[in-house]
Amino acid sequence: MSPLAAPAVLDRQRTVAPPGFNRWLVPPAALAVHLCIGQVYATSVYKNALVSHFGASQTQIGLVFSIAIVMLGLSAAVCGTWVDRSGPRKAMVASATCWVSGFLVGALGIATGQLWLLYLGYGVIGGIGLGIGYISPVSTLIKWFPDRPGLATGMAIMGFGGGALVASPLSTRLLSLYDPGYDSTVTGSVPSGSAVALLFVTFAVVYGLFMSYGAATIRVPAQGWAPDGFDPASVRSRSLVTTASVSARNAVRTPQFWLLWVVLFCNVTAGIGILEQASPMIQDFFRSGGGASAVSVAAAGGFVGLLSMANMAGRFVWSSTSDVIGRKPMYTAYLGVGLVAYFLLATFGQTSTALFVLFAVVILSFYGGGFATAPAYLRDLFGTFQVGAIHGRLLTAWSAAGIAGPLIVNRFLDAQGDPGSLTAAAYRPALLTMVAVLAVGFVANLLVRPVADRFHEPAADGPAAERGTR
Amino acid sequence: MNARGKVVAGWALVGIPLLYGVVETLVRASRLFSG
Repeated sequence: MSPLAAPAVLDRQRTVAPPGFNRWLVPPAALAVHLCIGQVYATSVYKNALVSHFGASQTQIGLVFSIAIVMLGLSAAVCGTWVDRSGPRKAMVASATCWVSGFLVGALGIATGQLWLLYLGYGVIGGIGLGIGYISPVSTLIKWFPDRPGLATGMAIMGFGGGALVASPLSTRLLSLYDPGYDSTVTGSVPSGSAVALLFVTFAVVYGLFMSYGAATIRVPAQGWAPDGFDPASVRSRSLVTTASVSARNAVRTPQFWLLWVVLFCNVTAGIGILEQASPMIQDFFRSGGGASAVSVAAAGGFVGLLSMANMAGRFVWSSTSDVIGRKPMYTAYLGVGLVAYFLLATFGQTSTALFVLFAVVILSFYGGGFATAPAYLRDLFGTFQVGAIHGRLLTAWSAAGIAGPLIVNRFLDAQGDPGSLTAAAYRPALLTMVAVLAVGFVANLLVRPVADRFHEPAADGPAAERGTR
Repeated sequence: MNARGKVVAGWALVGIPLLYGVVETLVRASRLFSG
């Protein structure tokens, strides 16, 4: 029996939608999961509290987040096939179990002062929940919205960006409630460890309820279902879009998969380069020779908020746009226009705050768009057969970029001087390196061609195999 | 609850927290131009 075996009520067969089911119930179910797991990008709210509570370094506490993101990529890759076979409800329950358990084990670690329990809970167990939860609704959404797959996956993956927007202010308010001595408006005020432990328990309860709603509501379409008025020929007629089936095992043997891996890796690396350094970056860009910056710490915080909005909006807007103009042209824009925006940011960014913000917002919207458009691109190239599993394997590019992006920026900045004394010129080598990274992704996207017939499942086995395994 | 009611309730359940996050973030982002 699989270690992920679960009651029959969670089986794919039990989640087939009855006739007349409204497909617009599926995106909120997916959003309910993604909004919860998106909390992972709001960990900076209590990072200093954990540093103080454990008497640890920033790096030691930052490792909790890094472990979670690495586990996200690994679990998405390893569990992708299981998620596709088992269906979205079982996957969402597994994700919720891991995510909630991660918070509870993490809370125990904080309460007892054992950092390793935080690594194990939030990092490893929670990280597995992240990976399974991220891919759990993707293939289901693509099947419900064959006419608009970019819009459907954009809505869900937008939730991952939105999760941090919700969790960040909510965490601040709850920490003030649990530790009356904490005042987020006072510089240097840090909440107590017990307040963070209580916050983790609260998140476990709230996210458990939200994700249960998603799991209870999600449905898969019946075999052969199609939306009213949908003409499959309208999709088939587009270049790169296949109606054949490619298994996950075969997909990773195609050059198309690895070209897309490079595309996602380059797009994410460039975006993380700005995201990771956003607050000090805008202050450094407008620092005069005397050392004072024209941009205050509060204004820099506003810039970070604006980037979060651009990241979230890009996921929905650009992914939906890809349904109209096609996936390959959309990525050509992400990487080509992104490359120009990065170059302009490096060369003219320091001339005006408005210009700096404009270029950064464009880059971050493309960063989000790249994530959200990837499942639809995979659907176009490999079909819907095991698109969830293939998507899971592709997300290893995210893990790799999560290491490469900050490494590129920090290495260059370390060589330029001390934090607090840097200027726009110090960022130029790192930003121009990102231009080169985007150029590599741009070329990789141009090289994407339809998948060769030899990788397709035999016609008789494709749909049959699909029925048999799902 | 009919199908339309379920859709409205489902979107409200995820939309209200998301709206809260968007408003809070926009307030923070406004400090970029006033701070």
